[in-house]
Amino acid sequence: MSWKTVVGLEIHAQMSTRTKMFCACARGSGTSANQHICPVCAGWPGALPVINQAAVRRAIRAAICHGCEVQRESRFDRKNYFYPDLPKGYQISQFYRPYALGGEISFKREDGSEGILPLVRIHMEEDAGKSVHAEDGTSRIDLNRCSSPLLEIVTEPLQMSGVEAARCVRSTRELLRWIGVCDGDMEKGNLRADVNVSIHREGDSTLGTRTELKNLNSFVSIERSVEVEAARQAQVLEEGGSIRQETRLWDQDLEQTESMRGKEDSPDYRYFPDPDLPLLIIESSDIDLERENLPEFPAARRTRYVDGLKIDEKAAESILARREFGDFFDQLLAAGLSGSSASNWFRGEVLKHLNDREELIDDYPLTPVSIATVVEAVEGDRISVAKGREILQAALDQNCSPEEILAQTDEQVSDETALIGWVQQVVDANPDAADKIRAGDSKPLGFLTGQVMKASSGQAHPRMVQEILQRLIQQG
Amino acid sequence: MPNRSSLPPTDATVGEVQQWLTDGHCSARQLIDGYLDYLQRVGRELNAVVEIFVDEAHLAADESDQRRSSGQSLGPLDGIPFTAKMNITTQLGSSDASSPMLRGFKAKEDATAVGRLRAAGAVLVGKTSCDEFAMGASNETSCHGVVSNPWNRDRVPGGSSGGSAALAGSHGWSFHLGSDTGGSIRQPAAFCNATAIKPTWGRVSRRGLIAFGSSLDQICPIARDAVDCQTVLQVMEGYDPLDSTSLKLTPSPLVPATLEPIRRVALITDGLGAGIDASIATAVRAAAQKMANQGIEIIERSLPHLEAANACYQVISTAEASSNLARYDGVHVGVRAESDQLQELYETSRHAGFGSEVRRRILLGTFVLSAGYRDAYYTRALAVRDLIRQGIDQVLEDCDALLLPVSPFAPFRIGERIDDPLALYACDILTVTANLAGVPALALPCDFDEDQLPIGMQLMGAHGSDHRLLEFGQRWQRWNDLHRALPEGSAR
Repeated sequence: MSWKTVVGLEIHAQMSTRTKMFCACARGSGTSANQHICPVCAGWPGALPVINQAAVRRAIRAAICHGCEVQRESRFDRKNYFYPDLPKGYQISQFYRPYALGGEISFKREDGSEGILPLVRIHMEEDAGKSVHAEDGTSRIDLNRCSSPLLEIVTEPLQMSGVEAARCVRSTRELLRWIGVCDGDMEKGNLRADVNVSIHREGDSTLGTRTELKNLNSFVSIERSVEVEAARQAQVLEEGGSIRQETRLWDQDLEQTESMRGKEDSPDYRYFPDPDLPLLIIESSDIDLERENLPEFPAARRTRYVDGLKIDEKAAESILARREFGDFFDQLLAAGLSGSSASNWFRGEVLKHLNDREELIDDYPLTPVSIATVVEAVEGDRISVAKGREILQAALDQNCSPEEILAQTDEQVSDETALIGWVQQVVDANPDAADKIRAGDSKPLGFLTGQVMKASSGQAHPRMVQEILQRLIQQG
Repeated sequence: MPNRSSLPPTDATVGEVQQWLTDGHCSARQLIDGYLDYLQRVGRELNAVVEIFVDEAHLAADESDQRRSSGQSLGPLDGIPFTAKMNITTQLGSSDASSPMLRGFKAKEDATAVGRLRAAGAVLVGKTSCDEFAMGASNETSCHGVVSNPWNRDRVPGGSSGGSAALAGSHGWSFHLGSDTGGSIRQPAAFCNATAIKPTWGRVSRRGLIAFGSSLDQICPIARDAVDCQTVLQVMEGYDPLDSTSLKLTPSPLVPATLEPIRRVALITDGLGAGIDASIATAVRAAAQKMANQGIEIIERSLPHLEAANACYQVISTAEASSNLARYDGVHVGVRAESDQLQELYETSRHAGFGSEVRRRILLGTFVLSAGYRDAYYTRALAVRDLIRQGIDQVLEDCDALLLPVSPFAPFRIGERIDDPLALYACDILTVTANLAGVPALALPCDFDEDQLPIGMQLMGAHGSDHRLLEFGQRWQRWNDLHRALPEGSAR
């Protein structure tokens, strides 16, 4: 009978608050070591922690979106252990009474079906600092990260593959990013996972002994480490051995796990309630407020775009890629654009600009209202599409508003008499091209249109120019 | 030298000295000079004071005089000298908790309580010795040496706030900040004939108090009488956004005059029996009789679980201490030993920085929180703590306050108990209850024994009833004036 792999996850997500979990220091890696520290996060005698309410609000949001039961009363505990980058000698965490219980992560199974990974709990805690080990054998401590606010999302064990485990983390990461709780930057370690792996024979009702793989900070390492560890366990068991409950380290380069410490060596953290912090009270009104302020979720937005606005799936996908994209797109709609033109201009221009300029949409200088003004000029035949694009690009290049440029732009000329004048001039100047067209070769039509546009300094209405060109040549 | 003839009498309280300044008998500068002179002579002799801030005190006194002369006095503490215990952080000087571990440690900021007092014009003149990290009942574990009791220099002043009490018990004009985790302000107050209150837990911000047992610790005033303690408490108390366990007092500050006065006092008989010196039991009974003579109803009551309180306290206070003192690891704040091995760095730094009593308590606390022992010790102690709270609440259902001695025995000789930890821990048996329950307790001079050593008593009240206790203390001190007594040699 084949082996079944069971995986449980502990996902650590740094919350994207302005300040740390228990003090007013800025959160973030800073530009130099120990730039963002104070007596509280550096553990000086006499300093006391104060709960960051902005972190609590984000934590509530995360709990709502995972379907957890937010606890009215929760409490912070001290997890005691010595480590050089842990200046107080304990980490403030929630052990006995976490703020959120239950909930789930939904993910796509490899066979395409919907998977549900139940959660045990989510709790808040503070991060440790960083030890930097130099080649000369010295070690330095950087406390910038110390006491950054973390969420720890703890799941139940569930039968799943490495790919599926990675999908669960991805699903939670997307959710946390979407609701503005965590930036999800795994390279920086702002989101990382510990993975518990066990295997058992199909049909066995009891789970096998688990091992824990710590600090996985990429989807590939989650996926591969689960598969490699499950295979290792299978080999051990098939050779008649037994699995030791232990913590193992994943080596991404060697694609193997190695033992770090056994359960019997695991530290005794001597948890007890932190007497420096009162009970954390979360009223149902606090939860309601966060629920009201939640952004629209991707699935609902997709339905609105595809079914409501009739935007094709692929276009909708690129608008849904980031919450900020959808927000910008919605502002284009609000400024009066139709779904299809908002979609065309957003994908064709805005995304192109961001790409060219290597810029985040938060820093994009053009407003949805300005863009809509230009698009309306195009749709009202006052300027050409090319002119519209040109204006947006010029506004970016010259760092001014598109409206300003639009005001200085001559309106498109659609007056027949004027157009005929320019066209006649061009046809007269290019008799060879006119002959070719009369002979049935339509190729020079583009060239002549271009010449007319040039003669009109770009003001001529291009579609009307083409019509008149053909008419005059055929008549001539 | 200050003009002595213009200075207030040695036993003058803060309230009286403030009147003295207002009446123009002397300036704040003269007062501060006089007090600095006392600190440098007697304070040093008693070894009560570790650091004296002459220049800064002069500056602050001159500013106070300027305010007074321009009619902008900041109130009852403007120009009044005070000291802070070594475990309370101050911008001036060092804050070493009397431990080699923190020798020379300079805090960045004043403790909130110190900051509020200085903002009210009080003049910080020095830092006082205490037991190392406030762990002790005799002030013999201080790295600054043994402190003498001003009433008998061969005796201990009590602890851990021994330095503060030695000053408060031997001279007026001033007040002192100590701290109380299991009796650390009340027992030395009783040993030195001073008045002190351990406020309701959370009434005074703990920010800037170097933690020992956080759920028990409070910063406390110790002074000549209950009026002064109240004046100081009213400036220090109240919510501090930087201590989220500090209490929001409404109305704030409580106006004592509007409080229902204490009329019924429970004399706790468990505090007068076995293990309590007969002279002390007799003195407290006599005090109860004096109260009865003044119309106070005295009811003899038993306080259940009193005998379990000290064990409960030892478990909880050491558990919290083991965690609070983990930060002194040789890597961050504190002593760093030479070593290139991490484990050895921890061990040698902590061994070098902590004295034996502190080490003993860290070991005890680590033990009671450890897997396999936690339920038998720590968890059970929390349950006992609840019973103790309930026991006090029960008594307070029909009484306004509880009366019992502070210390089971008189000030003992220096060296008499220091080698016997259990004998030292016995000092706390009557005081730890208030800390465990989080309720206020006021220590008042009660009598002198046949060796002319002070005897103290304490009144414990309901949660938040600090000012009711202080008002009662003021009445007691109007009925008899033994709190005014100073040891020989203190008078000028």
